[in-house]
Amino acid sequence: MIPDWMNEKDTYVPPKKGGAYLYKTMRSMGLIMSRITIQTGSEGKINIPAKWKIIVLLLSIIAISVTNNKTVLLFFAAATLLIIALKPPEVINRIVKNAFASGIIASIFLLPAFVTNPVGRMNNLLVLIKVMLSISLVSIFNHSTQWNHITRGLRCLHVPTVFVFILDITLKYIYVLGNFINEMLTAHVMRAVGKNKDKYGSIGGIMGVTFIRGNELNKAMYEAMVCRGFTDDYKGL
Amino acid sequence: MHIPENYLAPATCAVMTAAMIPVWGHAVKKVNEVVPKEKIPMIGVGAAFSFLGMMFNVPLVGGTTGHAVGGTLIALLFGPDAACLAVSIALLLQALIFGDGGILSFGANCFNMAFILPYVGYAVYKLIMKGKTDEKGAKSFIAAGVGSYVGINLAAFFAAVEFGIQPLLFKDAAGNALYCPYDLSVSIPAMMIPHLVVAGVVELIFTIAIFAFVKKVSPDLTYDVINSGAVTAEKKKHIPVFALVAVLIAATPLGLLATGTAWGEWGADEIAEIVTNGKTLGYTPTGLESGWSLDVLMPDYTLGSMNEIAAYILSAIIGVALLVIIFKLISIPMKGRKTA
Repeated sequence: MIPDWMNEKDTYVPPKKGGAYLYKTMRSMGLIMSRITIQTGSEGKINIPAKWKIIVLLLSIIAISVTNNKTVLLFFAAATLLIIALKPPEVINRIVKNAFASGIIASIFLLPAFVTNPVGRMNNLLVLIKVMLSISLVSIFNHSTQWNHITRGLRCLHVPTVFVFILDITLKYIYVLGNFINEMLTAHVMRAVGKNKDKYGSIGGIMGVTFIRGNELNKAMYEAMVCRGFTDDYKGL
Repeated sequence: MHIPENYLAPATCAVMTAAMIPVWGHAVKKVNEVVPKEKIPMIGVGAAFSFLGMMFNVPLVGGTTGHAVGGTLIALLFGPDAACLAVSIALLLQALIFGDGGILSFGANCFNMAFILPYVGYAVYKLIMKGKTDEKGAKSFIAAGVGSYVGINLAAFFAAVEFGIQPLLFKDAAGNALYCPYDLSVSIPAMMIPHLVVAGVVELIFTIAIFAFVKKVSPDLTYDVINSGAVTAEKKKHIPVFALVAVLIAATPLGLLATGTAWGEWGADEIAEIVTNGKTLGYTPTGLESGWSLDVLMPDYTLGSMNEIAAYILSAIIGVALLVIIFKLISIPMKGRKTA
């Protein structure tokens, strides 16, 4: 015996654009994840050790920011542009985007000075160039060095172990937890039909579960470290 | 041959720019159809040759200077359409960063050096080769040389005409010219004699030397090969070509040996003292005096009091690197020709 409600024709049409927000979140999450994973493959065959790269990067940025000598600035501009020119087009695209984004922010800061003090315009332009050069150098470093090599390089430079440890674990956990969030969003999208009126509720849910999951992983890792002889002292790491 | 700011009336500039717009549109379309995607970044290297060629100033008769443009060379390497884009972007960089050629006169400069020069140069080359594209012998070099010589001289002629019609069209109440003060009878010989005798020869040598070099070390980079469709999908490294660019960069300070200002490129402060046919001009045209000009970062490829040679080399590196970066970025949205 089939109940009546099962014989009724279903007229439900899911509203369009349902779940658009979820897809958007997933896409941006996926982008961040891919950016982290792509990192592993961007080093060339011949590579300068990360520690030298960090030293050169820091010295260059300091030199660029303190110099008043235009020849020095011009030299750095030429060197930076030359390195960028040798990169593949996709990497150039990202580096240039970063540089221009920073340039736009810097020019917003400099706008009042630009408008009120016409005499100092050339100087303001130099500041803008300094900002864009520094950001380009950091982007180049970022695109040519793997995460794990960066942390190793920092350790070689005697950066405190706690700092290196936290940085390393953070980078790894961004990946682990990001993957976890992505999987949850996928599960949510597959089960959701039509328009979600309680978007913030689902965000809260996902964030909450992620937090609990993070805590669990944290505890598990600490226990694993203790099992391997960790005595709450980061010296030997 | 770079026409500076305020030498041409804004009306002339507008006309020339309007004439260039369809040319640029056509060039972008053709490059997309003809040049394979992986070759598009290499057009930047062609533009670099042109940029560097324009930095080698040679002293000309009458105390002025001139330089090669290399438009025909790029046309031989990547086709006239790619040459049009490459020279246009090289000119834009020169105008914006180095103050060589004006912003308003950018359209006119492009018309002479990015349109007339490569298309005419390539047409002459084709005419001499008579459709035989696979010739390896000396004929292609002779054709390249003649093409580049005719191309640069015709471009100089157009520049001279643009200068020369200014005093005929634009005068103030006192009869003094508003913009360029020399009419056709002065500007044509002043531009053409040096170009026919010296700059044309420099362009010819520059074109043949680099064309022969590229043909020997990277034959896949010539337009005849690209056009014949014999393009392999494998990625080739063009280390010798980049090495040549590096050598040219290192040699750019030679361009400083020529100290004069090119004809028609004087600043507003020097024009009144220029001697033509035994008499000085004696006045500064109003358009030049009160005209608009952009404060560029590195006027005349130097920065204030810094060492000229260092500044010249660094300018060359910056220019070349920017051109390569720009063409690499252009290659991303471009579809390019599919390689079989």
